[in-house]
Amino acid sequence: MKRRIALMMAGLMTLSLTACGTKPADNTPPAADSGQSKQDTELSLWTYPVGQWGDQATVDKLMADFKAETGITVNVEYLAYKDGDDKINTAITAKNTPDLVLEGPERLVANWGAKGYMVDLSDMLDEEDKQEIMPEALAACTTEDGKVYEYPLVMTAHSMAVNLDAFKEAGADQYLDLETRTWTTENFFKAVSALEAKFGKNIAAVYCGGQGGDQGTRALINNLYGGTFTNPEHSAYTWDQPENVQAITELLGTKGINFDAAIVGGDEIANFYKGIFKMAFCWNIQQQLNPNNANGEPGKTVNGEEIAFMAFPTASGDPKLQGGIWGFGIFDNGDAAKIEAAKTFIKYMADSAHTVDAVKTATFFPVRSAAEGTDLTNVWSDNPIMGDYQVLMPYLGDYYQVTKGWSQARTSWWTMLQKIGQGADITSTVKTYNDEANAAAK
Amino acid sequence: MAKPQKQIMSRGIQRHEDISGYSFMLPSLIFFIGFVVAPMIICILMSLTDANMQGNALLGNFIGLENFIRLGQDPVFREALWNTFLIVIVSVPATCIFSLWVSSRIYQMNSFSRSFYRIVFYLPVVTGSVAVTAVWKWMFDNYSGVFNTILNGMGAEGINWLGDPRYALWCIILILFTTSVGQPIVLYVSALGNVDKSLIEAAEVDGANNFQVFWSVKWPQIMPTTLYILVITTINSFQCFALIQLLTQGSSGTNTVMYHIYYTAFKLTEVNGHFGYANAMGVVLAIAIGVLSAIQFKLAKEK
Repeated sequence: MKRRIALMMAGLMTLSLTACGTKPADNTPPAADSGQSKQDTELSLWTYPVGQWGDQATVDKLMADFKAETGITVNVEYLAYKDGDDKINTAITAKNTPDLVLEGPERLVANWGAKGYMVDLSDMLDEEDKQEIMPEALAACTTEDGKVYEYPLVMTAHSMAVNLDAFKEAGADQYLDLETRTWTTENFFKAVSALEAKFGKNIAAVYCGGQGGDQGTRALINNLYGGTFTNPEHSAYTWDQPENVQAITELLGTKGINFDAAIVGGDEIANFYKGIFKMAFCWNIQQQLNPNNANGEPGKTVNGEEIAFMAFPTASGDPKLQGGIWGFGIFDNGDAAKIEAAKTFIKYMADSAHTVDAVKTATFFPVRSAAEGTDLTNVWSDNPIMGDYQVLMPYLGDYYQVTKGWSQARTSWWTMLQKIGQGADITSTVKTYNDEANAAAK
Repeated sequence: MAKPQKQIMSRGIQRHEDISGYSFMLPSLIFFIGFVVAPMIICILMSLTDANMQGNALLGNFIGLENFIRLGQDPVFREALWNTFLIVIVSVPATCIFSLWVSSRIYQMNSFSRSFYRIVFYLPVVTGSVAVTAVWKWMFDNYSGVFNTILNGMGAEGINWLGDPRYALWCIILILFTTSVGQPIVLYVSALGNVDKSLIEAAEVDGANNFQVFWSVKWPQIMPTTLYILVITTINSFQCFALIQLLTQGSSGTNTVMYHIYYTAFKLTEVNGHFGYANAMGVVLAIAIGVLSAIQFKLAKEK
C-alpha cells in the first residue's frame, strides 16, 4: 500500500513538472468596507498607457489635485497593453477589479460592459453634455440599449506617416497633399514605385506578426479602394468585400511593400524611425510628438529626416480613419459609496474646469467642445504639432472595434495577412478568415 | 542473527517516528496539494466544461469530452501539436548528444579549464530568457540583423528568419538548444567524473578501445543522469513558451501547444468556453509528456 502511495506521489510530482506556472497578476486588493465618507474614500484606478496617463509623476500630480478638492484618495496602477487585459481578466475572475479603469470602448463597452461588469454611466450625461460631446465618440461608448459604459475623455485618429526627405529625394513628394494630408490610391502606388526605384526593396511593410498596431493594416487596406471592416450595424465582419481583396492584391504585387510576419506595429515604427522604411502605417499624434518613443526631436527620424503624418490613401479622396477613443469606466463592485465617489472622479476629470489637465495628460484631443463652461476647442493652441494634426480629426471613420468577437477577428486578420504573404490564394483565404471572425461574432 | 531494527521497535516509538516524519513533510505536502495537485484536478475537471472563468460562466457547464473532440478537429491545435513534437524530437536528442560530447571532452581537463567551459555553457541558463531572446531577435532581424548583414555582405539575399515559416521554427529550436545545453553539461561532467576509474583501467588492460570503454563502462554508469536529462529536457521542450511569446507570438508556423493554451485562455476571451478548451489542451499536453517520459523510463530501465 505504502509503495503504491509512494508511486502515486512520485507520479504526481513528475506530472507537476508539466504544470504551467503563470505568474499571478499583481492586483490591487479589494476595496475596504462601504459606508465611508468621501473624505475617507479610497478608489483604485487602473490605467492603460494613454499618453502621459501611463506616467506616474504626471498622474500623481492630477491625483493630488483631485484629493485636495474632494478628499478622495485614488490609488493608481499602471497597466501595459501587453498584459493589461490579462490582469483585468484575472481581477474579474478573482472579483477584485479596480473601481475605475481608463481605456477604450472595445474593452469597456464591447467586452467588460457587455458581460455586465461595468456601471451604466448614462445618468451622468445630461442634454448639455450630449451636445458638447462628439456624437461618434458618444455612440462608441453607448450600447444598443442605451447604456453608457465609458465616459469619453479624449480621442484621436490613427494615421500613417511618410519620410518627407526621402519622398523629396525620390521625387515622390508631388503625390502628397500636405495641406489636407490626403492622397489618392493611384498616387500612393506611384510614390511607392518612385521610392523603390530610389531606395530599393524595403519601402514599407504590411506587418502581420501579431495584433500589435493592426489598426494600421486594417485602415490601409480598407481605405485603398473603399472597403469596410464591418457592416455599419457592427454585427458582422465584411473584410471579404471585393474592394478589400483588390487592395490586398495590389499591395502584395507592389515592389517595395513586404508582407512581413516577423514584425508588428512597434517594430514597423522602429524601422521607420531608423530610416529603413520610408512609410509607416502605424502612426498617431503621440508618435508624431515623440517618434518611436525615443525622446528625440519631434517629427524627425533618428537621422533628422522630416516625418509627415498623412491620412491613408483613398480612391475617392474621402479617407476614413480609425479612431481611438479613451475614457473612464467604473467596475460594478457593488459598493454604492465607491461608485458614487468614482463618478465624482469622472466628473472632475472629464467634465469640469480640470478636464483641460486630464486631456493634456492624455496627449490626445478632447471629445467635447466644452466642459462646464470651459472651452476645450483650443486646448492645444500652444502646441503647433497638435494643432496641425487636428486636420485629420474630420476624417474619423466608424468606430467598429465594438463589434462582437473582436479578439478573434483581430487574430483572424493578422493570420490571414500572414497566409497571404506566404503565398496562399487571396480570395479564398480572405473569405476563410472573414468567416472565422463572423463565427465568433454570432 | 540479529533481528531487524523495525521488529524490535515498540509500536509507540514507531508511531512517534511516523508522526515526526509526517510533521516534517506537512508544510511541503500542503503546498504540493494546494498548488500542484488541486490545480491539476481543477484543470482536468475544467477541460470537461465550457468555462470562461468570468461571471456566470466562471466554471461553465459540463460538456463531457466535447472539448477533446473539438481539439481533434482544430487545425490550429494540430499545427501547434506538430510544431511542439518537432521541437521535442529535434531538440532533446541534439541537447543530450551535444552536452555528452562536450562533457566528455572537458571532464578530464584541469580544474580551471573545466570551470571555464562550464561557465561558458551555463551562462545562457543563468542569463534572463528575456535578455537572451532580445539579443537573438536583434541578430535575426530582417532589416538590420547580424545574420542578414553578413549575407548581404556576401552578396546574398537576406532571409526573413522569424517571418518565414521555412526558417522560423528552426530559429526557435536553435535558441532553445543554446539555452538548454548548460545544465546537462554540468550534470554530465559531474557524472563522468564519478565513473569508477578502476573499471575503466580494467577494461583498458583487457584491450578495450575508447568506444568500447565508453559504451560498456561509462554509459551504463551515467544512465541515471542521462535519464534525468532526457526527462527534464523533454518537459522543457514541450513547455517552450517564452521564446515563442517574445520572438514570434506564434506566427510564421511557430505556434506551440503551450503558447496556444495561453493564447486561447487569456487572449481569446470573447470566444465562448475558451478557458475549458484551453484546459483540455493542457490535459492533452500533460498526457503527451507523461507518455513520453514513461517510454524514456522504460527504455532506460531495459538498458
